[in-house]
Amino acid sequence: MTTIQTGAPTPDPRRVRQLARRSSAARRGGRPAGRRTWWRALLATPSGLYGVVAVVVLVAAAGVSLVYTPYDPGAANPYDQWFGPSLTHLMGTDNVGRDIFSVLLAGSRTTVQVAVGSALIAAVVGVALAALGSLTARWVREGIAVLIDILIAFPTILVALMLASVFGGSLGVVIVAVGVSFGVNIARVSRGEIRRIARSEYVLAATASGLGRGRVLTRHLLPNIAPVFIVQLSWSMALAVLAEAGLSYLGYGAPASTPSWGRLLAELQPYIGVHPLAVLWPGLVITLTVLGFNLLGDGLRDATDPRVRQGGNR
Amino acid sequence: MRSPRILAAAGTVAAAALVLTACTPGGGSSESGSPDADATVNVGLVLEPTDLDIRTTDGIALDQVLIDNVYEGLVSRTAAGEIVDTIAKSHEVSDDGLTYTFDLNDGVTFQNGDEVTADDVVWSISQVKDDEGMQGHTDLANVTSITATDDDTVTLALSAPDSNLLWNLAGRAGLVLDEAATNDLSTTAVGTGPYTLKSWKQGDSLTLERNDDYWGEKARVKSVVFRYITDANAGINAMLAGDLDVQTAVDANLATQFDGNADIEIARGKTTDKYTLAFNNKVAPLNDMRVRQAIRMAIDHAAVVKAVGGAAVEQGGPIPELDPGYEDLTDVAPYDPTKAKELLAEAGQSNLTLDLTIPSFYGTSVATLLVSELEKVGITLNVKSVEFATWLNDVYTNKDFQLSYVDHAESRDFGNWANPDYYFGFDNADVQRLYQESVAAADPETAAAKLKEAARIVSEQAGADWLYNAVTLTAVRQGVTGFPTDSTSTRLDLGELAVQE
Amino acid sequence: MIRFVLTRLLLLAVGLLVASALIFFTLRILPGDVAQVIAGTQSTPEQVAAIRLSLGLDRPILVQYGDWLGGLLRGDLGSSLITSSSVADELAEKAQVTVPLAVFSLVIALLFSVPLGILAAVRRRRVSGTVVSFVSQGLAAVPAVWAGLVLIAIFAVWLGWLPPQGFPLDGWEEPGRALQSLVLPSLTIGIIEGAVLLRFIRSAAVEASGEDYVRTAAATGMTRTRALITQGMPNVALSVVSVLGLQVAGLIVGAIIIEQLFSLPGIGRMLVSDVGNRDLTKVQGELLALTAIVLVIGTVVDIVHRLLDPRQRETA
Repeated sequence: MTTIQTGAPTPDPRRVRQLARRSSAARRGGRPAGRRTWWRALLATPSGLYGVVAVVVLVAAAGVSLVYTPYDPGAANPYDQWFGPSLTHLMGTDNVGRDIFSVLLAGSRTTVQVAVGSALIAAVVGVALAALGSLTARWVREGIAVLIDILIAFPTILVALMLASVFGGSLGVVIVAVGVSFGVNIARVSRGEIRRIARSEYVLAATASGLGRGRVLTRHLLPNIAPVFIVQLSWSMALAVLAEAGLSYLGYGAPASTPSWGRLLAELQPYIGVHPLAVLWPGLVITLTVLGFNLLGDGLRDATDPRVRQGGNR
Repeated sequence: MRSPRILAAAGTVAAAALVLTACTPGGGSSESGSPDADATVNVGLVLEPTDLDIRTTDGIALDQVLIDNVYEGLVSRTAAGEIVDTIAKSHEVSDDGLTYTFDLNDGVTFQNGDEVTADDVVWSISQVKDDEGMQGHTDLANVTSITATDDDTVTLALSAPDSNLLWNLAGRAGLVLDEAATNDLSTTAVGTGPYTLKSWKQGDSLTLERNDDYWGEKARVKSVVFRYITDANAGINAMLAGDLDVQTAVDANLATQFDGNADIEIARGKTTDKYTLAFNNKVAPLNDMRVRQAIRMAIDHAAVVKAVGGAAVEQGGPIPELDPGYEDLTDVAPYDPTKAKELLAEAGQSNLTLDLTIPSFYGTSVATLLVSELEKVGITLNVKSVEFATWLNDVYTNKDFQLSYVDHAESRDFGNWANPDYYFGFDNADVQRLYQESVAAADPETAAAKLKEAARIVSEQAGADWLYNAVTLTAVRQGVTGFPTDSTSTRLDLGELAVQE
Repeated sequence: MIRFVLTRLLLLAVGLLVASALIFFTLRILPGDVAQVIAGTQSTPEQVAAIRLSLGLDRPILVQYGDWLGGLLRGDLGSSLITSSSVADELAEKAQVTVPLAVFSLVIALLFSVPLGILAAVRRRRVSGTVVSFVSQGLAAVPAVWAGLVLIAIFAVWLGWLPPQGFPLDGWEEPGRALQSLVLPSLTIGIIEGAVLLRFIRSAAVEASGEDYVRTAAATGMTRTRALITQGMPNVALSVVSVLGLQVAGLIVGAIIIEQLFSLPGIGRMLVSDVGNRDLTKVQGELLALTAIVLVIGTVVDIVHRLLDPRQRETA
């Protein structure tokens, strides 16, 4: 469960296990899936294909908006408020007369920043906690485990709220809050798996042959857990986009000087009874993008899972 | 020294959106029929008090529901800004303006049955006078003694004339409480008003009930339930679904949802809500008058009014129409981006970046517009959206800001401009002198004339920009009469409220 | 086994202590304080100082922490700095809205995610299974605010079947009305969470259908679906339960947005408003209560797992 979209990603323990299994199998011996087949497998599933297309469109939109938007996304002109969709304003205008399409186009940059930023932080926090929680002395491990449980009880939204109190509402706050929360969750999910790998024969063999802990981490653990993390992070990106929308609704999202989907939705939501079409657009692009990240995650999971591919199930 | 006497951002912190207010009696249609004495009226409000302690807790959300309804003072304010006697039967001010004599009504009782004595009045006002932790303490700065001259008379002696005193006594400073009562002011209230406080469900609602033993004209409805609804859309829906009989502070952009609904009428009311873009007048680059003027001229105030759905009037100076000393000052800094750019160039600030601190519950529409307007003259605006508690700390207390945006809802708050320690940091000797003269003036006309003169200086010096003076919309269900519609965010006197059957 | 349980309980106690310190000192970083909020915008610095003194906020921070901790050991969560009302009482009152909301949402989520998740797993190679998967993915991607708005627009404003907002003044005195007012909020959370859960159940069921015992059962003549349901379900259920256990506190606080949208007087809204008012004793009491729920559930799940799962018992 995701705690209504500002919480944490739901892990999928089975996949975590499978991926690590496959990946370690790949390390140990043959290469069941080369890079090209892996990529092809991703595109061969409808979900993978949609996910890739959606993310490519998002990134392209962000790129295009750097050089071109039909109107200045920040140019408010209340005399032009509430235009319906037309050829001049594809999606109409909002309550202060901005061109909704231009705001959404420019807002895709914010979405990319939030998604990538929080995923990076989640990765760093996740790897750090997971490593500390598996490679260190027993009492440290138990301590980390308890700490993770405590942090999980701290909802993302409160972390964001407290950060916003100290630093003011901003994108950075959203990114850090979402990133840290997801990182903690990923650590919780992958803890068992990392421990399993840490006890596996080849790691034990490596340790026995005199390899240091750091080396074990970089040579064996991280490469093996990487596919799991990538899938998790793709899902995290989806939730980051939703979290930005939720936090914007509560007034802790991007500030007025930054165009953002979540804030546009939050600004327009009261008007659903008066201008329903205007409220539709930001909701729609958020949904399609979140769907894209989710399906990309699913596609990656399936594409890197030999049993799924051999069994032909989707 | 008078300390800042003003209400900035409407009260409680967690609330979203803003509050507007008003007080002309009579919203709603007058349908003939007999009043329903057993009626319950559900009223939608936005901002909830953090606490009910009328003595120590600031916030117009508290004044709004409790003053005039549960608590009463010697005198009270009418919607038109006049002072009328309440617990006092009559009052008299000596010619030198140094002695105020209040003759008390007979038979006034507290809601616990105790009779109101002159000693209660003296105790109540002395409490505020003596304890600097109490709200309204600084309003009594000129008062030197409060005495009961006989069982029905209370006399206040002043060290210097104070033309604001009666107005202030109609606020927190003059409320009469029972010396013998021991109730917890945080969650309960014992006053003399026409309604008793029945219950407060924090985060949800506050219920008043008719005081059947009221000493004056009794309330016409059995109970009033204030429901605190922060989501604008939820308020509209509650009204449409019949969960509310009155919705205050309706977002003008949403009011069209009531169109064609014969059951609901929208009343427009005036307010003293001044949506103020404050400048930190003490720090560079805003200590340069040309920069401040440029900002004022860069903003198209008609566009701001349009953005808030037309529920506003342009305001060119610190005093709104409802307050004494008002004058239309909108031509002091007319919209002129070209001139604004020239002023900036003259000041050597052609590529300026400024921070705007804004409490998060105000929404972002106006901020978006400001960013856009200022960009046109070459000013980059960074918007910092913060919690109200953070605003209080950073802007109000520590004065660590460049631009700030809050609603100064309180009426007659010009004194802030005469106080260089207020967060505006506005320090002008002429304004301070004129304000002192206004306070000391014996008659209201002179007082208002002095304020008018001072207000013009503040506007010409571009002490701040007044984005708009809000007009408040109140949606009232057919059959509900006597609900105030002016300044509803600061006072809601429900003495006339009735429901026709 | 007894040693294991004792260790877990000791860890729980340590966890609560660490949590209390973490919560207490993190909250002290927030700018602004309750005295400023109470005194407001008419205040002088002297007035703020006077309030601070009367609330005991001028004492050393460690002394304040010690006081709070002492109260906790006596089972006292403390009281509000603003209204002096007991934090435990406030929590109990708001829980009357939030706990039913969370429970109903969970029930709604499970009601449709379990059967549809299994359907999607069993029919994963057919159109029906793909459609179910795809629709659930779509629903899981909808922003909560937006989903709530659409449900309000349809069921409350247009059809007029259900109240658009609010909770009855007299609470559960009239259960029918209270229930009605929770239908749309629960549905909003339930549908979105259910869609997420569905994905999870689907993959757990796909996993189970590949396990030997299900295959064996299928070989003895059961249909695959039947085999999956009778043999695979316990495993699916176990993994679902452990995921749910983790999310309880999150679900309660995650209801913030929905409580706001539907004007429900619940724990989530109270928490946000208390943080806003800097009523720190209240915030820390509320947060600690939530943390305690998560830690206790975590401990119980651990112990139950140990009892149920033969593999873990062996390796212990």
